Amino acid sequence: MGETLLLLKHRDVPGIRHYDVYKEHNGYEAAEKALNMSPEQILEEVKTSGLRGRGGAGFPTGLKWSFLAKPEGVPRHLVVNADESEPGTFKDRYLMEFIPHRLIEGIIISSYCLGSNVSYIYIRGEYGWIIDILEEAINEAKTNGWLGKDIKGSGFDLEIYVHPGAGAYICGEETALLESIEGKRGNPRIKPPFPAVKGLWQRPTVVNNVESIAAVGPIITIGGEAYAKIGVGRSTGTKLISACGNINKPGVYEIDMTQTVEEFIYSDEFCGGIANGKRLKACIPGGSSVPMLPANLLLKTAKGEPRYMNYESLAEGGFETGSMMGSGGFIVLDEDQDIVYHTYTISRFYRHESCGQCSPCREGTHWLEKILKRMSEGHGKMSDIDLLWRVQGNIEGNTICPLGDAAAWPVASVIRHFRDEFEWRVLNGEDALNKKFGLAHYADPIEANKEAE
Amino acid sequence: MAEVKFSEEAYKKIEELITRYPEGKQKSVLIPALHIAQAESNGWLDVPVMDHLAETLNLEPVEVYEVATFYTMFNLKPVGKHVLEVCQTGPCMVCGSDKIIDHIKEKLNIDVGETTKDGLFTLKPSECLGACGYAPMMMLGKNYKEFLTIEKVDELIEELRKQDQ
Ligand SMILES: Cc1cc2nc3c(=O)[nH]c(=O)nc-3n(C[C@H](O)[C@H](O)[C@H](O)COP(=O)(O)O)c2cc1C
Ligand code: SF4
Ligand code: FES
Repeated sequence: MGETLLLLKHRDVPGIRHYDVYKEHNGYEAAEKALNMSPEQILEEVKTSGLRGRGGAGFPTGLKWSFLAKPEGVPRHLVVNADESEPGTFKDRYLMEFIPHRLIEGIIISSYCLGSNVSYIYIRGEYGWIIDILEEAINEAKTNGWLGKDIKGSGFDLEIYVHPGAGAYICGEETALLESIEGKRGNPRIKPPFPAVKGLWQRPTVVNNVESIAAVGPIITIGGEAYAKIGVGRSTGTKLISACGNINKPGVYEIDMTQTVEEFIYSDEFCGGIANGKRLKACIPGGSSVPMLPANLLLKTAKGEPRYMNYESLAEGGFETGSMMGSGGFIVLDEDQDIVYHTYTISRFYRHESCGQCSPCREGTHWLEKILKRMSEGHGKMSDIDLLWRVQGNIEGNTICPLGDAAAWPVASVIRHFRDEFEWRVLNGEDALNKKFGLAHYADPIEANKEAE
Repeated sequence: MAEVKFSEEAYKKIEELITRYPEGKQKSVLIPALHIAQAESNGWLDVPVMDHLAETLNLEPVEVYEVATFYTMFNLKPVGKHVLEVCQTGPCMVCGSDKIIDHIKEKLNIDVGETTKDGLFTLKPSECLGACGYAPMMMLGKNYKEFLTIEKVDELIEELRKQDQ
């Protein structure tokens, strides 16, 4: 079974990036329908849909919206999180680049529901050409009466502005993002107060991922109940997965979350198998912050059941033997990949991106990078493995924002599952430098499963 | 040192951007304005440039410095005309970004973070740019160059050199 297209519907239609073509393909029908509903009705549809935040944490969107404070006379804001900087994640970019009006339409409906008259798209500054695409789409929407005062006679006013960042992963964290829009350094705030009460400029604010907001249009079109029927269990609707690494067909796929991981990796409708005829060694299924799994635990849970591409199944087994759906950044590593070096690049990333506010994160990410660097250069000691374990353990749960955990989890997972590769590296410093990794037994799920028995 | 001045369009653009934020919250324009200031100043932010921006926006200079030093896209040292920002994070690494970086170093005879003597190229290694499925890749100005190979890098560098003659 292939893709289920809700968000990416019509993606192959030439010119779908532009208003006229988008409109011809049922574009803005959802917005029209929504403006004839009450904000409360829209909220009910979103709640019924079971939509969960697509930015990483999977928090139910309808519930989040219902927390928005509504004090008299204080403006409220919707802020769309298009910071997309989690390694492995490039789905929001795809959506904005090819079907920008899907997002604009979603913002119109969501802003109407939340009572936001000025909504912002906070986009990472590196997506320079996408900023132009969004600005153009906003202009087109405005020219056609979908933005501005009294939209289509509804009495509702809305402006949407694009606000660029300037290179800082931490600004994807919602409170750092708000600081950044306010023209400050991206230091996460201490919660509470939550943005729903005191957000942008201390006003009640909802921050949602691009994909979450883009899903609101289709939810209104087909109805929350129909949306909830797609998918399985609490993983309702469709999810964009950005697949990358050593696969034949990297790219963005929209799935209904009923596929097995095996099907997703090997079938021609999705990743098309491992590139260059190699075997699968490991995978980070939900962006670099989530635990890495070796092939055997990726394809099957510890109970020996097939693992599926949805929130619950990917998390099955907890961090001991499972992982997370996260942002949907699916990173595949083949048998030749060096887990130690790979983890070093990931730790370097988190050290670079730590805002430096809390010492466990600031110092800890520095240590993780340093130890992994010397290990990957063949100068590691056996005791370094336990040191890594301790350092990551001291970061986890001891920081203001979840970046600390995000830096700790990947390290914990590789020590848990690939400890023998770390040991091998310490004992074979020379070979390690020449990139003769060995240990390809991870790559063979059947053999590895046997071993596990 | 000559007094810093931006182009007329730059001031106009900043004025226009300020209207996107509520009364009294104009500081929000700082990051967009820093992008404009950098583009107006050979791709980097010297202290007088930041001071001038502070004055333009009615901010204290330190408010501008503390933001400019936080974000990686702002260059606080001179850079070449073309900044080759090659992603080196995990997903790009497993697709061969190290080879691309090594090749550029050798070809341009510079280390990472350095600029060629003719001032044309700077090699700036970068962390994930949201193009992991199109790896290896680099950012060049407002655009991404994706699925890089050694040959593609060679062609690109030649092309940029030609543009400049
Ligand atoms: C370090 C860090 C980086 C994050 N980066 C992003 C991001 O790039 N995009 C995003 O949508 N959410 C990101 N998040 C999650 C946001 O804080 C927030 O939960 C999300 O935008 C809420 O939207 P959702 O409920 O629609 O998922 C990040 C969180 C952390 C801790
Ligand atoms: S955990 Fe790291 S990124 Fe988050 S606030 Fe603390 S220092 Fe900053
Ligand atoms: S890792 Fe290079 S673009 Fe994401």
